[in-house]
Amino acid sequence: MERAGRCASLLLLLALAACSREERDFRTTAAQTAPHGPADPRIPFYQGNLYQVSQGGRYFSWYGCGGCHGEKAQGVLKLSDDAWKHGGAFDQVYRSIAAHAEGPRIPPEQLWQITAYVRDMHTHTPAKLRRQDLDEKGEPTGDSWSGPVR
Amino acid sequence: MRRVLALAALLLLGGCAGWQTPLDPAGEQARHIYSFLELILWVCGFFYLLVLAFLGWGLWRARRRSAEGPEIAPADRGLDRALIVWSALIVVGLTVLTLGAFFVDRALANAQARETLTVRVTGQQWWWRIRYRDPATGRWIETANELHLPLGKTTRIELGSADVIHSLWIPNLAGKTDVIPGHPNAFDVTPRAPGWYRGQCAEFCGAQHAHMALWVKVEPPAAFARWLAGQARSAASPADPEQARGMKLVTQGPCAACHTLRGTPADGRPGPDLTHLASRRSLAAGTLPMTRGALQGWIARPQAVKPGTLMPAVSLSPTDLDAVAAYLAALQ
Repeated sequence: MERAGRCASLLLLLALAACSREERDFRTTAAQTAPHGPADPRIPFYQGNLYQVSQGGRYFSWYGCGGCHGEKAQGVLKLSDDAWKHGGAFDQVYRSIAAHAEGPRIPPEQLWQITAYVRDMHTHTPAKLRRQDLDEKGEPTGDSWSGPVR
Repeated sequence: MRRVLALAALLLLGGCAGWQTPLDPAGEQARHIYSFLELILWVCGFFYLLVLAFLGWGLWRARRRSAEGPEIAPADRGLDRALIVWSALIVVGLTVLTLGAFFVDRALANAQARETLTVRVTGQQWWWRIRYRDPATGRWIETANELHLPLGKTTRIELGSADVIHSLWIPNLAGKTDVIPGHPNAFDVTPRAPGWYRGQCAEFCGAQHAHMALWVKVEPPAAFARWLAGQARSAASPADPEQARGMKLVTQGPCAACHTLRGTPADGRPGPDLTHLASRRSLAAGTLPMTRGALQGWIARPQAVKPGTLMPAVSLSPTDLDAVAAYLAALQ
């Protein structure tokens, strides 16, 4: 019994360590410029933090990226296969997104977050990709919107 | 220590005053809930006093007896009778409370028959998206963080959430209702006194839960119709060259990726509709008053005003920022 208790507390401690992966740091000055290169010191702050990555996912659907890069995307549009046309390094992905139609309108920090999300997509299960698609469909689309209340 | 406690209790009492309290009902639904609160108070108060009275009587008897000498055998028959009366009283008290709850619920549901207006309110981290139907064209008119209601008419408020669970509570007008993603909830409100009331998200929803408020204005039906007609119009045209430059920056720059200004190319959906931004009373869901200075500060450093907000900082030169603020502050 005592052994089980000790094991449980050890597991709990281990679980606590995982919290730092989601830490929300609102005080750090947000990135205001594009990454300088693949070794930019700001990259781990975004790529290594699950909160920043998930924020990228939120903007991914807000800006309608899933319209072409959704669950059914094939070939070069498919972002979840870790195969890159313009290179998969952080600064390369960032530049490809910034060159998109919506890109110039998106502020730098959100581009950082979207880049972190897109580079994380190869780890997503099919269920997670489908969820992202559903979230995007549910977004109200202005005057033409007649769907359910969300 | 005792003085500190007394002071704390006094401060708590202070919370009951002001413009966000269920103890000062200004709507039919809040009035029903308030009268039920009074009923609970009377019933529970009666039983509380009864128990205290018997406790006092028992203590008094025990003290007198120990002064008189040896213990007297308890009178079982009297105790039996008192127990029956006591149980009956509890049954009556609970029945009164149950009936009260039933009639209040029925009164709240009965308002449905008198609905004259439907408003959709969507909770988002951390603001409220509000949509009215244009009576003339049937299209949706969108605004944010400010609900206008016609006096004496019943409005149905349909609730939705775009992310996590929120809860909408306007204490002076109606009880709180949870806002649940994927599950439509609704409640009715029939305001009976004109004025401004404050509402607040009442379910913890993230870092800026406390800064997720909305203002409610109750006004006579004619004034309400005028306001709605005003909201249905497109955004005001810039009045001078600086505002024109601000308009260009807003509608062609990063602002337009998230915000809509009807009548301009800006048609972003994620953020609040800015078409009549300056006509609202507050900024960033009740965080700042609507002034030109607050507007400029909010655009320059949103994370300093509301840490964690999804509104990003956009780098603008000071003169550009001036122009943007001048344009937005003129959007009546």
